[in-house]
Amino acid sequence: MVLEATMICIDNSEWMRNGDYSPSRFQAQADAVSLICGAKTQSNPENTVGILTMAGKGVRVLATPTSDLGKVLSCMHGLEMGGEMNLAAGIQIAQLALKHRQNKNQQQRIIVFAGSPIKHEKKALEMIGKKLKKNSVALDIVNFGEDEDGKPEKLEALLASVNNNDTSHIVHVPAGQNALSDVLISTPVFTGDGEGGSGFAAAAAAAAAGGVSDFDFGVDPNIDPELALALRVSMEEERARQEAAAKRAAEEATRQEKGEEAQPQSDSQNATMNATEKASDPMDEDDALLKQALALSMNIPGSDSSAGDAQMSEATNDDQEFALALQMSMQDGSKDSSDQSDVSKVLGDQSFMSSILSSLPGVDPNDPKVKDLLASLPSQSEPQEKKEEDEQPKDDK
Amino acid sequence: MSAAESATAIHRNQVDLLDFIDWSGVECLNQSSSHPLPNALKQGYREDEGLNLESDADEQLLIYIPFTQVIKLHSIVVMGSEEDGPKTVKLFANREHMGFSNVSDFPPSDTVVLSQDNLKGKPVVVKYVKFQNVRSLTIFIEDNQSGLEITKVQKIALYGSTVETTDMKGLKKIEDH
Repeated sequence: MVLEATMICIDNSEWMRNGDYSPSRFQAQADAVSLICGAKTQSNPENTVGILTMAGKGVRVLATPTSDLGKVLSCMHGLEMGGEMNLAAGIQIAQLALKHRQNKNQQQRIIVFAGSPIKHEKKALEMIGKKLKKNSVALDIVNFGEDEDGKPEKLEALLASVNNNDTSHIVHVPAGQNALSDVLISTPVFTGDGEGGSGFAAAAAAAAAGGVSDFDFGVDPNIDPELALALRVSMEEERARQEAAAKRAAEEATRQEKGEEAQPQSDSQNATMNATEKASDPMDEDDALLKQALALSMNIPGSDSSAGDAQMSEATNDDQEFALALQMSMQDGSKDSSDQSDVSKVLGDQSFMSSILSSLPGVDPNDPKVKDLLASLPSQSEPQEKKEEDEQPKDDK
Repeated sequence: MSAAESATAIHRNQVDLLDFIDWSGVECLNQSSSHPLPNALKQGYREDEGLNLESDADEQLLIYIPFTQVIKLHSIVVMGSEEDGPKTVKLFANREHMGFSNVSDFPPSDTVVLSQDNLKGKPVVVKYVKFQNVRSLTIFIEDNQSGLEITKVQKIALYGSTVETTDMKGLKKIEDH
């Protein structure tokens, strides 16, 4: 998110015709430049990017720092290769272009693509580097293409003289399978000093580096930690949900057998079972969790009422009915009248309801639907509550 | 009137402008990251002789100090050591975002050559008439006493007075009677 003005120095010398980077060095470079422009403008809308070419007849500024991405990208068209790269002049002219940027609050950065041999001496490069550091200009160097003796050392020396607190970086890209842009995406050139990078870079990384990536979800946590974290969390949630669904399915099978044998203590049991079977088709995330709670509670009354604690059976009854009520209200499905009365009697017990609500993981107690439900039904529940209390002493025995 | 007397007489109305520096806009070009500008400017740091502002790539330093209100600059104090303290100091009033390349583009509001006395703490009186209406000050340290690679500044203090400017926070609506 740092506010930056960037000048990109492109190498369009004869050496760029080589095809060791697919499709050609120049094309690979052009792709990388487009990606960088996009990433810079996306990370901060006030960022500006400019382009200049270092070879050809001489150093030529194609675009002064501008935030208009279209203009910058269109400059890349129709570029011709030829001549020799003049690194020193290129960097100095880039510095001059940055000096005259409109927004003086922007940090200055130069990105150099060094693909051809460097004819300057190390000393000269170090002088240039010092001058850049003095004017607080950061420099990123992309070393690709020609690999002559001494080129990496010269570039490292240049970097060392510019570098101030790790704001400048160098990337060596060897020829081979990976496209230049793909390699660059995971480097600080794109991500900018370890800030976590822009969404643009992460999306590009995910799209392009699917097979190559070592990371779980095709997203480098270094580039986009938030995205990687979100993916991981949602994977875990999905896994938990699937386990719950599997568990519920298993329990439903056993419950269905028992449910038909056991004497129904109240109409609710049968009704709930029917309802759950009806409701099993449309599965909501909340419903799945409710089903699980339902199934668990169903197991206990299915065995023997006398064995259970009175409170427990009341609780489980309430549980089933409440679960039923919620799922029905959410689906707007058909309801039996008996269900309705049982539901309302259960829902009348407000304190109990809130405790159930908080224990069910899928239900948000502050959900307006749930609150409305609670508010609307207490009046109906009173006559039913007495009926329930009558049933309770029977359960004790 | 001895020189010492007149010096103190001038200083009677002048205050340390430290309180009026707008710290959010303070910049220093070519400073070493381990020895930055606050070492020389900030209260407490500047008194500490071990903490200096040091230059990085070469011996020049360009310091930009904006103020929270308009001030008149009367004198400055620049303290440093005998060998690597600053020598030639150019002051520019109200020039924003200067770089090393355009220090020679316009004449400075004042040029000061620091003597050893100055480096020990004796204030340098500037051309007061040139600094009557200062919103920001740029200090360009051109070289140091012995021509060494690195210039070290122990303390920079600015003395002057404020111009009566409206305190916008103090503006309140007058109640109609």
